[in-house]
Amino acid sequence: MVARAKQGDEVAFREILRRYERPVFALLYRMVRDRALAEDLAQDTFVKILNGIRSYRPEFKFSSWVFKIANNAAIDHLRRRAVDTISLHGSPDATTPERLAATTLDLPDRGESPLEEVEARELGSAIERAIGQLRPEYRSCILLRHVEGHSYEEIAQMLDLPLGTVKTYIHRARNELRDYLEDRHNETRRARGA
Amino acid sequence: MKLDGPEGRKKNTMPTQHLTPDEIQLWAEGLLPAARALHLSDCHECLTAAERERSFFLQLAKLERMAPSPGFAERVLGKVRIPTPSGGFKAPD
Repeated sequence: MVARAKQGDEVAFREILRRYERPVFALLYRMVRDRALAEDLAQDTFVKILNGIRSYRPEFKFSSWVFKIANNAAIDHLRRRAVDTISLHGSPDATTPERLAATTLDLPDRGESPLEEVEARELGSAIERAIGQLRPEYRSCILLRHVEGHSYEEIAQMLDLPLGTVKTYIHRARNELRDYLEDRHNETRRARGA
Repeated sequence: MKLDGPEGRKKNTMPTQHLTPDEIQLWAEGLLPAARALHLSDCHECLTAAERERSFFLQLAKLERMAPSPGFAERVLGKVRIPTPSGGFKAPD
């Protein structure tokens, strides 16, 4: 597919887009918590990938190259804007209902029974909120590891970080997520018992 | 004293050491060496913690991959310069 794209095969370009648009957009959306902005960054990411396809070196895994470009786009934006702790229910910086809607994560229906859906959505929402609380570099690592399923070595390569640092970030991110979820669980129990 | 094995080592009948939090994370990712994972067959406490960790990882893996808005691919392709075999670029459609 990549070899065909390098030869200018438009079908291969479309295939790359079809295969990566959702994971790249989802990563960017979770990183910047703004749908319109995530779309802009995803568009820039793919333009960069497809226009630069000839510079892609096959010794690097293609998906790693794609996510490296996407993650750099998100991190560059976050460094410029310092938007790093935004709630599932919209950015605290949002000053109008439109901005609040634009910065609220939109969780789609997953086709479960009503009770399962409520439970899954509650837990999914809690995890999304917890991820939103992480430092951007922890957030990248945990999303690339657990949502995208990349190996530690691939993540180190993507983020230009030593392997040990990636392991540390993922370890700390998991602990922070677990602490956040436990705190939330305890608060819910206290509220129900009150 | 009863000795066991060809080298005459004493058979270890003591329970193996509990898994560390790091080892529990490794087990949940399928990366813990089998020799250490054996401890889970004897230790309910570690097994409970390990299964809780694996369940947490599964929840993370189940997070939705949201889609961009319709027409995203076309908008991207409208901005891309598609290379031609001669070394130039096709103009966007």
